[in-house]
Amino acid sequence: MSQPKPYWNPYAAGVLLGLVLLATFLVAGQGLGASAFPKRTIAFVAHEVAPAWTDANPELSAYTADGANPLRHWLVIEVIAVLLGGFLGAVISGRFKPTVERGPNISVRRRLVFAFSGGIIMGFAAALARGCTSGQALSGGAMLATGSWIFMMAVFAGGYAFAYVVRRQWI
Amino acid sequence: MNGVPFPLTFGSGETFLLTAIVLGFLFGLALERGGFANARKLAAQFYLYDMTVFKVMFTAILVAMVGLYTLAGVGLVDLGRMWINPTYLWGQAIGGFLLGIGFITSGLCPGTSLVSAASGRLDGLVTFLGIFVGTFVFAVAVDVFPWLDRLYEGASLGVSTLPTVLGLPVALVVLAVVVMAGLAFVGAEKVERIFQARYGTIDLTPEPTRRTPRIKFALAGSLVGVVVVSLAWKATPPAPPAVRPTSIAPLTLAEQLIARTPDLLVLDLRTARPDGDMGIPGAVAVDSAGAVELLGRTNAGVRVVLVTADSTPGMVPAGWPADRHYLVLAGGYSAWTTEVLTPVEPADASLAEQGRVARQRPLAAFFSGAAVQSASAAAPPPVLPVGGGAKKKRAGGC
Repeated sequence: MSQPKPYWNPYAAGVLLGLVLLATFLVAGQGLGASAFPKRTIAFVAHEVAPAWTDANPELSAYTADGANPLRHWLVIEVIAVLLGGFLGAVISGRFKPTVERGPNISVRRRLVFAFSGGIIMGFAAALARGCTSGQALSGGAMLATGSWIFMMAVFAGGYAFAYVVRRQWI
Repeated sequence: MNGVPFPLTFGSGETFLLTAIVLGFLFGLALERGGFANARKLAAQFYLYDMTVFKVMFTAILVAMVGLYTLAGVGLVDLGRMWINPTYLWGQAIGGFLLGIGFITSGLCPGTSLVSAASGRLDGLVTFLGIFVGTFVFAVAVDVFPWLDRLYEGASLGVSTLPTVLGLPVALVVLAVVVMAGLAFVGAEKVERIFQARYGTIDLTPEPTRRTPRIKFALAGSLVGVVVVSLAWKATPPAPPAVRPTSIAPLTLAEQLIARTPDLLVLDLRTARPDGDMGIPGAVAVDSAGAVELLGRTNAGVRVVLVTADSTPGMVPAGWPADRHYLVLAGGYSAWTTEVLTPVEPADASLAEQGRVARQRPLAAFFSGAAVQSASAAAPPPVLPVGGGAKKKRAGGC
């Protein structure tokens, strides 16, 4: 792993991703996801700390109904495996690099503040929308779910609408 | 279950969970290969000089969509057994817009933040931690502010797909998506080249593909489209999806029966009942046809507990009204027998087991008529919210 290899052609990566998604449909009867992991972790911890509050919560109660363990779920295992896949993929191709990705005009500290704030917004948004780019736009989009297509359009709209505001961070 | 092989039905055991390791691993690998570990590459999508997000995502959508609906068209996939994202217009529109803002602010989305963190990027890790905070904030906020809960639950269409909403054949919608994506790919390549002259390219981006591969891709895309049309044209729009029941533990059900929890209907679906069978008090013994008939007389939102002999069915049978809240007695009637009717008290019980035994004792007394049965406790148990009449049954589907 001397020189990092270039990324795949995006269409080739897309075909691989699509085949993985299709296999997930056939095997699991559902799509891929990412934001289920934080949701279910929080449901688990909340249920340990405040069971009554969690069971009455409009969002979290769905994960803990009838004594179910929110962490014993396909999507939770899948997310842990995503970390492994991403890690090994990066190491094999020489792209593993402890660093902070940022544009030329922003300090590391400010970039991390932006990353954290963006994360908070996305955590809130993915809970409100019942899914994120993986679970809604990608998986629901391929299943032609109406709400997932609305979500997808809204994500691009939000991104382009706000891009000018945070441009100093990237270009 | 109905002779259609896919999706596979594992239940929720270990084998099923293990498939997540393989597929999740490949998911992470594909994202990393595409360059999604790099926040700059993702953010460039919104400054138009690197459209990788769009290209990878839509190629994947095309492959999975064409594959899924083609297999459904030839009868290898039962869409009714799949979990399809339900539609909540407000939550998805507003949540999507907010997620877009968060996306360009952090440069990553939830899935890619994982891959970014796994490839050593501190900004990926920090984004992921932020997502935890945001998720928690929502869970608290939706509890505190009723308006947010209304937004979250509002404008629900249930499971809704574009072919049903547009009233168009599945194959036509699939073909339209393929054609539009193909045109958008060509446009994206053009736009990208214009803005790369201004902002440059991200490191490690592969050389742009020359003419031949693009023509090949277009050809392959149209070929696939033709195949889909021919295969899926005869396919009917997806059947109303089966409802996936949640499970209820025997002890919980027993306690709710004693507490006379309203709107609880217990259906005993066992086909054979041994002599001296005690059943579950208040349960209605029906076969599948009888159940449909009975459910037709209940109101939407009724909680329906399904009791089988010893298995835990993963799906509510097709054709049952979708707007009831279905629960499955975990472990079936045999678990009811071992946990409620005739529980065994372990000799030296741990603290947790002692708590369980304390819970079981009065229940066993109540339901199996042992020991401390009292007059009031023997009163016929509760709740059969059949009839009602006041609320009209909503027509099927969502």
